Amino acid sequence: MLKKIFKHNETYLFFVLVVFSIVITIINPSFLTFENFFDLIKSSAGMTILTMGVLIVLLSGGIDVSFTAIAIAGQYISANVLIASGIDNLYLAFLISCSSGIALGAINALLISIFELPTLITTLGTLNVFHGALLAFVGTKAINTAQLPNCFKLFGHKDLYTLMRADGTNYGLSVYVLPLIGVIILTWFILRFTMLGRGIYAIGGNKEAAKRAGINIVGIQFFIYCYVGFLAGIMGVMHISLIRYGNPMYIVGDELSVIAAVVLGGARITGGSGSILGTLLGVAMITILQKNLVLIGLSSYWHQFFIGLIIIAGVSTTYYRNKLISKRSIALISG
Amino acid sequence: MFGKHSKNIALFLIMAFIIALMSFFLPDKFLTVVNFQSMASQIPEFGLLAIAMMIALITGGIDLSVVSITSLTGVVSALILKQFTNTQIGGASIFFTITMAILAAIVLSMFCGFINGFLIANVGVPPILATLGTQGLFLGIAIIITHGHGISTFPEKFLFIGSGKISIIPMPLIIFIVCTLLVALILKKTSLGISMYMVGSNPIAARFSGINNDGILIRTYIITGLLAGVSSIIMISRVNSIRPGYGYAYLLQAILVAVLGGTDPSGGFGSVLGVVMGIVILQVLQSGFNILAFSPFFKKFIWGLMLLLVMIINFVIARYLQRVKKLKISTSV
Repeated sequence: MLKKIFKHNETYLFFVLVVFSIVITIINPSFLTFENFFDLIKSSAGMTILTMGVLIVLLSGGIDVSFTAIAIAGQYISANVLIASGIDNLYLAFLISCSSGIALGAINALLISIFELPTLITTLGTLNVFHGALLAFVGTKAINTAQLPNCFKLFGHKDLYTLMRADGTNYGLSVYVLPLIGVIILTWFILRFTMLGRGIYAIGGNKEAAKRAGINIVGIQFFIYCYVGFLAGIMGVMHISLIRYGNPMYIVGDELSVIAAVVLGGARITGGSGSILGTLLGVAMITILQKNLVLIGLSSYWHQFFIGLIIIAGVSTTYYRNKLISKRSIALISG
Repeated sequence: MFGKHSKNIALFLIMAFIIALMSFFLPDKFLTVVNFQSMASQIPEFGLLAIAMMIALITGGIDLSVVSITSLTGVVSALILKQFTNTQIGGASIFFTITMAILAAIVLSMFCGFINGFLIANVGVPPILATLGTQGLFLGIAIIITHGHGISTFPEKFLFIGSGKISIIPMPLIIFIVCTLLVALILKKTSLGISMYMVGSNPIAARFSGINNDGILIRTYIITGLLAGVSSIIMISRVNSIRPGYGYAYLLQAILVAVLGGTDPSGGFGSVLGVVMGIVILQVLQSGFNILAFSPFFKKFIWGLMLLLVMIINFVIARYLQRVKKLKISTSV
């Protein structure tokens, strides 16, 4: 039983996370408070939603780097439509953002499934096409707080559950946990209980075998990339509501930390393996690290370095273990 | 009709067509010595990165860290140049400094490439993820060193590499030609080059025919890193400054040009000649866009679109050829 637990990536990650949290708590006791915990959830909710999409893409044996461009496109278009039309409705914002996200995701899916193009190069291309088109044809002007429709501000400010500090002021758990938990459960349900989820794992494990087994590869790939677009649309609205400022230059460039969180959680691009729990631990690790770099005495210049280091450490352990296992099995067969 | 050289012939026709188009519509701006010189000094920077990308693609991998290697080696050699020029003055020491800076760039870039190769060959990480990680790592080190600021103004003698001319040929172009000839020689005439193609087209078959795949991959990424290092020397010398993250757009352009030049992203195919023609096509278009004053965002859009279109066209041609082959087989039987 214990042996089985230690076979999982998640176990190691969990222990690293615990040790890391203890160290930070010793340096700064305010780390282990509800307030900080709530704050971490709120600020990492958007990223977590994106990681669910990236996880599914990795499970299917592909990679997507265009989701940041999709998120910013959804955000910028929906905010601009709301401002131009004068309708102050959050549901409309989500509708516009998510549907443009799905549309852009469908373009990715079209290129990848119909033309069988390599996923990395395709999404690198669409990243530039989407972002370039947004800036060249839609606009480059930032949306400041005064222009921003009220519904965004209310959404970003709303608490689901409030607690009181010692000095009598309030703090609370943001309403962001609702879309967050919704997306996690939805993704978990799809992967665990539907034929679609089995198909995603099957394509990632062996595409040719999946095709022979009668799995509709084109249809599943369309679902995957549209789902990523949909999640990016949600994240776009959450992001603008959180920072109360919309700049079409934001979000793009943060792909690396999202992918880092997913690969740190043990998702493998080559094997159809990876889990939601691992991904969530990966997100927790990256968020805590990012927020506390300064606390350990390192300036924000170290951010990029650590993201790179985390990706390398994460993928190295995952793949090296894989390599050892396959070597052992070859030795078993031949000897 | 679709022989061994068909792709290169098609590329040559596209190149000739675009140059003719530009000369026809913008004769007084495009067809000038100055424009050609400026094109020739811009080509080497991303051209070397494109050649590097091609090598990685031939072995079935990809190197996303080239621009970060350029940043890191650029920053380190810039620091050496600044350090020595601040303390020492005099002819001999300047040459010593410049040699040191170039040597440092070469050694460091090869070391960065070695790290990539080690992760891919020995640890077994897929090239996409390994170089994605080192992309952040190398750039991160460059940012830590300079705190995100730029470094500028180098000794005048050093600037000769990037903006000097020998008669009317810009110096960067000469370096570029030498490098591409060397790479072509390695790919076509050495066992290393031939092994690279074999590893790229079928790694298992390559291993069973006695090729040391791991060694080949490590050497591949060392060469890739080295080319990025040479590109960084040209870059800091031409721009006379370096900032971590400078030239990030080159990553997309390098992949675009490599694929445009007939390199197969799934490995095993690619030629220096094709990629060089791809580089010329991109540069001619680039200079046309500059003359027409397109915004950088619109250019971003166009480059992305071009990459996708080229890949779609390649796919359609491959599909067509397959069908023709099948027809031939069925009629001959």
